[in-house]
Amino acid sequence: MGWRGALALLLAGLFVSGLSGAFAYFLPAALVAYAQTGQGTQGRSGARAGPSPNSTPNTTPVPAGAPFTVLLLGSDDDSKFQSDAVLTQSMILVRITPATRHVTMLSIPRDLLVPLSSGGEAKIDAAYSYGGAADAVTTVERNFGVHVDDWVWVGLRGLVKLIDYVGGVDVTTTNPVLDDFYPADLENADPYSYKRVLVLPGPQHLDGLHAMEYVRSRHGDIQEDFGRSQRQQQVLLALKAKARSVNPLDLPGVLGSFNGEFKTSINLADIGRIRSLLSLASQINDPSQIQQLVLVPPYTSDAVVDGADVLIADWTAIRALIRQYFS
Amino acid sequence: MIPGRWTAPRAVALAAFAVAWLAAGLGVYLALGAHRSPVATKAPRPDQVQATAGPLRRLPGTLYLVQDGTLYRLQRGTFTPLLNASGSATWTMPAVSPSGQDLVVVRREYAYSDLYLVDAAGNVQQQLTHDASSTVEGNHWALYPRLSADGSTLWFDYDPKDVYNSYNVVMAVWSMPLGPNKTSQMRKWTIPNDYTGGDVQPVPLASGGMIYTKYALDTTANKILGQLWLSKRAGSEGTPLTPASDDCSQPALSPDGQRLAMICTGGTQLVSIQVATFDGTTLGPRQVLVSGQVAAQPTWAPDGQSLVYLAAQGISGHFQLWQQKLPPQPSPSAAAPTSTPIPTRTAAEASPSPTPTPLPAPVQLTTNLDFDATSTIAWHV
Repeated sequence: MGWRGALALLLAGLFVSGLSGAFAYFLPAALVAYAQTGQGTQGRSGARAGPSPNSTPNTTPVPAGAPFTVLLLGSDDDSKFQSDAVLTQSMILVRITPATRHVTMLSIPRDLLVPLSSGGEAKIDAAYSYGGAADAVTTVERNFGVHVDDWVWVGLRGLVKLIDYVGGVDVTTTNPVLDDFYPADLENADPYSYKRVLVLPGPQHLDGLHAMEYVRSRHGDIQEDFGRSQRQQQVLLALKAKARSVNPLDLPGVLGSFNGEFKTSINLADIGRIRSLLSLASQINDPSQIQQLVLVPPYTSDAVVDGADVLIADWTAIRALIRQYFS
Repeated sequence: MIPGRWTAPRAVALAAFAVAWLAAGLGVYLALGAHRSPVATKAPRPDQVQATAGPLRRLPGTLYLVQDGTLYRLQRGTFTPLLNASGSATWTMPAVSPSGQDLVVVRREYAYSDLYLVDAAGNVQQQLTHDASSTVEGNHWALYPRLSADGSTLWFDYDPKDVYNSYNVVMAVWSMPLGPNKTSQMRKWTIPNDYTGGDVQPVPLASGGMIYTKYALDTTANKILGQLWLSKRAGSEGTPLTPASDDCSQPALSPDGQRLAMICTGGTQLVSIQVATFDGTTLGPRQVLVSGQVAAQPTWAPDGQSLVYLAAQGISGHFQLWQQKLPPQPSPSAAAPTSTPIPTRTAAEASPSPTPTPLPAPVQLTTNLDFDATSTIAWHV
């Protein structure tokens, strides 16, 4: 083999090595994308799989540029619960209209009493624990009369790590959040232990742990779960603002940071769609483009059913709201 | 590279190729990693960044700021750590005495905080409160210390326990004589609203009263919003200085006591820094200095001619120090106080001053630090 052959061998080897380096870089993201994203819609209860009465199957891909709706699910997934049978304390419907760059966020109260798609009646946060994301999606679709295109589930530690990975979020906290009985389940083996929490009011840079305390604390809020829902929406919007500075090379780190506390129906291996979603997020900067909704009275009212505090929905009013913002 | 033709030079060449291939693979891996977004870059310590020239060096007097739980002194462009964060303990919210010789600083642990009197060199002189408890809910917070004009009275926030409902943890404004073992003389000044976070950020007045931020549920907006209140005696209800819907907080009184700076959000995530004249009872029209930013902690210069504040900057979102110079104070006739708070709906719509002197552009004083925006700034000549 002459020098030309040697040069060709060197260049070919460099090319293959470079590809191997890139493959190694993206491998963790690929594994997570394979294992935890692009998930189907079959619930454990078996109730899901077919379309809800008011919707088309959500396996239908969303046409490029068309409005779409995502159901965000957040869970306390500490050791109080069996793995993957957790409640979803946070349920937020997000409607995104790419053409107008308009976003609507509707927080669903966790105590809302609804018929579950898996059967029976319970608080809506139980839908995920009985049947996974699929049953949560179907329950929301059937009760709210809305079509959900995709869903995203994040566990407690996943959100903390995600926020830390992006360097924290800037939030103008609404008021002092004080809680003497905040769960200390993230840093303590006893899931029933508690700690004191204080989040100071005003503009500030929150790391993952303190952002979690801000969105999770509920004992000291006069609006109880409604106040917590407003805080969750604030932090989500702050995270969205961070999307402007994230690029596809961050995917391995972002997905790795979740460490299994993240699932979605969105196929994260579809780099083209991920890039377009990040681009869309970066274009939504005007606060007037973002509508934040919380189902306070008269959309809901307090009640006690079988000894449990629940919220009763005024479905006529809620569905009118859905038609206005999610159709 | 046929085995039959294996020679030493060829073996060396192959080894060199292998090294090059390994380096290429590793290089691509590292290069991809190096091009991740730098959002999580940690800021350097302020004392590692010295200003050799520029506006930071020209700031008069001494400022005290907090980054990462460490209290820094800023003099002539140089940051010096005075009280270092240690373990879970952090220092925050410095308040300087009228003489400038002492500071009252909060030392915060994960479940409680205490006030300490320290000298200007950062040496702890006295522990003023004792809020630690062996039971989680038995701990207390002591925050936002301020000293009276004569330096004899300490104002601060404290969370008394609700004996009827342990979930109702709210802060109220208290006062006590400055000194060790004075907590038995603590006096509660305000009656906070339940489940709102309470009353915070007292600013004592020379007249004996104080301005503070009260949080309350605005049933129109369905949000808890901040409102500046004036209390002239302990236990009195006081009077509001700003409309609830403006969501104003972080009051800062000018050295002459005639102007009040504050931040207002109108219930949004963005902030405007505003200044209004203050006649001891009511606020005059407000002038918007900065708007549409995530900004906090307006703090008057000792000469009252400018304000510094913290504002989030760049993709990291770290808070930097900014300075806004102010026009001369409007004449009393031009800034006649109104008998009721101005009916501004949102911060952005706040009424301009009747003498709309153009403001110079604010000046960014630091570029890559990471100040704690929840900590007050102290500034003494």
